[in-house]
Amino acid sequence: MDGGYSYNSFAGQGGGGGYMPGEMNSPAGGKSGDRDNKTLRPVTVKQVADATQPYPEAPYQVDGADVANVLFVGQVRNISLQSTNVTYKIDDGTSEIEVKKWIDSSTADNMDTDDGKVAGVGKTEVQLNGYARVFGAIKSFGNKRYIGAHSVRPLTNINELHCHMLEATAVHLFFTRGPPGGAPAGAGANAAGAGGGDAMMGGADDYTAGQNRALASMSPLARRVYSLLKTEPQDDIGLQMQDIASKLNLPPTDVARAGEELLSAGVIFSTMDEQTWAILDG
Amino acid sequence: MSLQTPRVLPAHLHAFHPSSAGARSTHTVRLLGTVTGLRGDTATITCGGNGDVTLILKPDSHLQMGKLVEVVGKVTDLEGGQGLGIRVLGTMDWGNPAECDYKAYENVVDATHRFKSIFYDAE
Repeated sequence: MDGGYSYNSFAGQGGGGGYMPGEMNSPAGGKSGDRDNKTLRPVTVKQVADATQPYPEAPYQVDGADVANVLFVGQVRNISLQSTNVTYKIDDGTSEIEVKKWIDSSTADNMDTDDGKVAGVGKTEVQLNGYARVFGAIKSFGNKRYIGAHSVRPLTNINELHCHMLEATAVHLFFTRGPPGGAPAGAGANAAGAGGGDAMMGGADDYTAGQNRALASMSPLARRVYSLLKTEPQDDIGLQMQDIASKLNLPPTDVARAGEELLSAGVIFSTMDEQTWAILDG
Repeated sequence: MSLQTPRVLPAHLHAFHPSSAGARSTHTVRLLGTVTGLRGDTATITCGGNGDVTLILKPDSHLQMGKLVEVVGKVTDLEGGQGLGIRVLGTMDWGNPAECDYKAYENVVDATHRFKSIFYDAE
């Protein structure tokens, strides 16, 4: 499949492909992203509490990236059974949040983790002061933030708890510093930007963050090429593929493939001809 | 802000002692260990290879020997100058210690303090 990086496959990726991360912050991108962004992020309760909204009604953002659904674990501090929902208070040691699980008695099509029937006795029952794993969306009512839960189930293996905390950390680092291994995408300037985003948790410099996110999912090779294009002195025309290949000491075919990857993500563009690229930024 | 309970190892207790950090808002921590001693109103837990901690129990604490427990409590001085201990606020029984990868917990403690912003507020 490696050889399949033709313009056809590029066009295919563009057509069926996802939204460019950079678009997420535009109102239109945000709206459609709400429906198409089906991500499920492992988080801490504090991250939910710190999640920001760029404008009212916008999707919540954690580390500058939209979150559709979140996943977390914590201890159940209160269970309140109401006529339409069960409200749990979940505490994971970093913060507390209310979780509402609507009771849907009409559907038999429940996951076996379903706890809609809390009153009933079952091994899937969530217990007071026990740990629970929650999967749901961040909602707010008035000024109060809560989780509209799809699933709340008991957690009985402590390794799952620890794994979750580490996973949440790993994902946080992915969004703030880029993927593990390899130099930070875009070298110094971006790394500083990512650090700032980390500190602010909201990531105000969305453009840089957007570029980082685009690069984050790319091959190390593509990131090297990007980094060279970013740092190497050049005129408006950018750099020629052969030139990049010799500077990086790589076979031209590899560079061509990396270029396709960067082109399809929209972080570089071709100038003079198909083999001459420059960085697309302001 | 609600109460935060940082996950720690025995070596970190001094940092959460009321006297050592005046500005610190929380003295309440979480510890994970195996119950290795029960003496009425106190107990000892062994935290993997990280040493023992003495717990001052609540009347309604139910600890069982040999079980892995997660303890939420306040860092306090032990009677008779025996160093630091934990005044228990709550415990959670995790069952058999053999089923827990303690190394994972050590890494969690490390990660939560290294990348603090997503776990705890700065003091």
